[in-house]
Amino acid sequence: MADLDQKPKVGASRRDFLRGSGIAAATAVITGPAVASLDEAKAAEPEYKVVADTVTLKLQVNGKELSTEIEPRCTLLDTLRNRLDVTGPKRVCDRASCGACTVIIDGATVYSCTTLAIACQGKKVETVESFDTGPTGVPHAFVQHDGLMCGYCTPGFVTACKSLLDRNPNPTLDEVRKGVDGNICRCGTYIGVLEAALAAAKAMKGA
Amino acid sequence: MPTNWPENPKIIGTRVTRLDGMAKATGRAKYPSDSHPEGMLFGAMLYSPHAHARIKSLDFSAAEKLPGVKAVLPAGNIKAGSLVRFQGDDIAAVAAETEEQALDAIRAIKVEYEVLPHVATEEQARAEGAPEVFKGGGIVKNVRKGRSVTIGKPDDAFKGDDVVTIEASYSAPVITHVCLEPHGLTVRWTPEGKIEAWASTQAVGPTANELAGAFEIPITDVTVHTDVMGGGFGSKFGADIWGVTAAKLSKKAGGLPVRMFLDRAHEHMGGGNRPSAIAHVKLGATKEGKLIGMIAETSGTGGAGAGSAFPLPYVYAVPASSRTHSDIFVNGGNARAMRAPGHPQGCLVMEAAMDDLADKLGMDPLAFRLKNLKPTDMVEDGFSKPTVDRTPVYHDEVEIGAELIGWKNKWKPRGHVNGGSPIRHGLGMALHQWGGGGPPTNQVACTIFPDGAVEMKTATQDIGTGARTIFAIIAAEVLGLKVTDITSNIGNSTFPPGQPSGGSTTTPAMSPPALNAVTLARDELFTKLAPALAANPEDLSLADGQVLVKGVAKMAWKDACRKLGMQPISVVGKSSPGLASQHGGVAGCQFAEVTVDIETGVVRLKKIVAVQDTGLIIDKLTWETQVYGGVIGGLNYGLFEERIMDPTSGIMLNPDMELYKLAGASDIPEIVVHAYETPAMKARGVIGVGEPPTVSTAAAIGNAVANAIGVRVPHWPMSPKNVLDALASKEGKA
Repeated sequence: MADLDQKPKVGASRRDFLRGSGIAAATAVITGPAVASLDEAKAAEPEYKVVADTVTLKLQVNGKELSTEIEPRCTLLDTLRNRLDVTGPKRVCDRASCGACTVIIDGATVYSCTTLAIACQGKKVETVESFDTGPTGVPHAFVQHDGLMCGYCTPGFVTACKSLLDRNPNPTLDEVRKGVDGNICRCGTYIGVLEAALAAAKAMKGA
Repeated sequence: MPTNWPENPKIIGTRVTRLDGMAKATGRAKYPSDSHPEGMLFGAMLYSPHAHARIKSLDFSAAEKLPGVKAVLPAGNIKAGSLVRFQGDDIAAVAAETEEQALDAIRAIKVEYEVLPHVATEEQARAEGAPEVFKGGGIVKNVRKGRSVTIGKPDDAFKGDDVVTIEASYSAPVITHVCLEPHGLTVRWTPEGKIEAWASTQAVGPTANELAGAFEIPITDVTVHTDVMGGGFGSKFGADIWGVTAAKLSKKAGGLPVRMFLDRAHEHMGGGNRPSAIAHVKLGATKEGKLIGMIAETSGTGGAGAGSAFPLPYVYAVPASSRTHSDIFVNGGNARAMRAPGHPQGCLVMEAAMDDLADKLGMDPLAFRLKNLKPTDMVEDGFSKPTVDRTPVYHDEVEIGAELIGWKNKWKPRGHVNGGSPIRHGLGMALHQWGGGGPPTNQVACTIFPDGAVEMKTATQDIGTGARTIFAIIAAEVLGLKVTDITSNIGNSTFPPGQPSGGSTTTPAMSPPALNAVTLARDELFTKLAPALAANPEDLSLADGQVLVKGVAKMAWKDACRKLGMQPISVVGKSSPGLASQHGGVAGCQFAEVTVDIETGVVRLKKIVAVQDTGLIIDKLTWETQVYGGVIGGLNYGLFEERIMDPTSGIMLNPDMELYKLAGASDIPEIVVHAYETPAMKARGVIGVGEPPTVSTAAAIGNAVANAIGVRVPHWPMSPKNVLDALASKEGKA
């Protein structure tokens, strides 16, 4: 029998709350009945039909007017990579969490893997291929500070840095961290990346 | 043949930027997944949505009729009646004119499944009454129990009166490689019936071999290109079922090239993973802190077919020990080699037990560790080199690391509290070891052209360690040229045989034949030049772009090469003794400084110190980058990474890059890297550094967290959940 005299616990700690909710819920499971009803819903789905057609897309990429036929569902990333041979931006997570596909659209840093290509018509798309390759450019700083290993995330990091420096030519180390926090490197080149961004800021000012 | 590296090098050991750095940093480098040969089709894979199922029927007819679809094929030998044994197991493949069409066709493949019972986690596989999914080959109830390995009499060792013992369980979860460029290749059949592939691989030679074998054609009819590749970490050594299937699709589509790369979810599920490690450990020492024995029951899962071994005891002198390891089989993708296979797991188990025992003994864990190093730890270098004693190396490295982290002033016994703040501060450390030597079986071709160009050529590849730059440094050193004067051509399976990039072996395996090749080429040049300079070949030398006679500059490099007329000098160099450690055998230690918020369980890293020995360093810049990279890999294991399987459905809950956590820039602390590069270490020759620094970081972080909060967090990663659970169990709330 419950002890009715027991005082309710006052002020549950943040720790108890967190243990009981959000973080632990990362391991939430889909229960049996839910799985069954999902299966039922699936069985009721009609035969799979493809409804697709292409549209002519005109894009301004790195100062060039490019045109190609795409389905309206094509992302900017897949359009650049698969149809326009602009392969600097990479497809890694394909759902806006790693930043390897980063491009600059009308001055804004954008994940091209979750941007529809048709939404970019009439806008200015800049990719890593268009950046200054001289000693005051961001790519040069990445090479000098060895901010790359396998190099697959590198175009995304270079683009995020370039975009940051365009907006904030005098970033602090913390601002650089935040500026590239939307990007993930698996080889672990962050130290070189941070050094490169600060060095590029310095080099640009000297230019 | 040279048997030693230059005594006073001008370039070797300095900080040289990567030759292919600009190509990578400007997005111009073409990765295998960027390749787009004329007429290329887009491939896509269909994989099992179920953890365990029998395929009742497989119908491609609707898929084949869709617009743009050129070929649909089963994966491997899959047919009606086949079993799929994990979510992500391959079923079928499509090639179509556009990627969108290929994905539509994948969705239009009709598969009827008989869903079978599964075991998705280690716990589920071992539970009483669990379905026996895995049988045969010594597997009982999904478990293959290994033989016990016993040294001395561990049971007797614990009997003494003055024995202090800890008994504890530790575990690390399955993690996945997360190569940013997924597994895959672009492949075509030429009109002559040959295969040409652009593969994301750590091994161009074995990949060509696998393709040739799959189609029973001579390997001379296969060319694999890997100019650059986007990460492998041990998981990319062949064409794999995806590459072979893509080649079949290309053949079926009349030789049109097919680009086939896994999507991110499939990459997590089927592209390899690191086995879990679960350990129950009894470790004992005398009251004076001398280890006397260890008894360990360990297990782990490598998925539906791979093992889960890891070394234990690790690093330290344990006079008596017994260890039994069991492989647990689950409906998950198969493990593959991952960065120093087994060592991070063995290290975190051993080092956690060492720390817990030091705490029980009331000893400084640093002093306890030094007290228990092996009296000598001789490492065979191979070739003609003498063996190396690793024990004094550990002593030196721990001393250096302790100084750099400020151990003497900052370290306090476990669970010390400064005031009432929930932010607790802790320090931890761990020791590690690895091989990193290179086998003497490879070749490098060096060609000096009449126009002065120099090419270094071999069938190895750059996994990110800067292989091109390494060859150029060596050639430039010997020829008195600039690094940028040299062209390194690698990543082609038809070049002279080169080393697969695994086990930190590329640089040590390839540097000796590179030095040999360029030295032989130089000597041949001297022989040809000597008459024109009215000198003996042995009077000639090279420096600063000049040919010198008895130390006096006589002719510019290009003018000298012009004397070759129409005939380049081309030499194939082999490995020679003494230039690299054949077996490696490095030490190393790391220290971590953390804060832990005991209300939220959030661990923040403040600083990591890594002290690393790896023989002679060729490029200090890329060497440091590798050590930073190793540490950052290790801090991912320490804080973030975990494959989460749902026991009910058997599927992976985080096959992505937001819930599968990896460090971003704001998670990176101050990292101090110290190269332990004494003359004795340099004399060992070249040793690879890719893996050693990734071994002990997670262990050091775990120990720092225990030091901060006063209780062991027994499960990696040091996530808020695991930290809060450990704090709760300390308070009896578990």
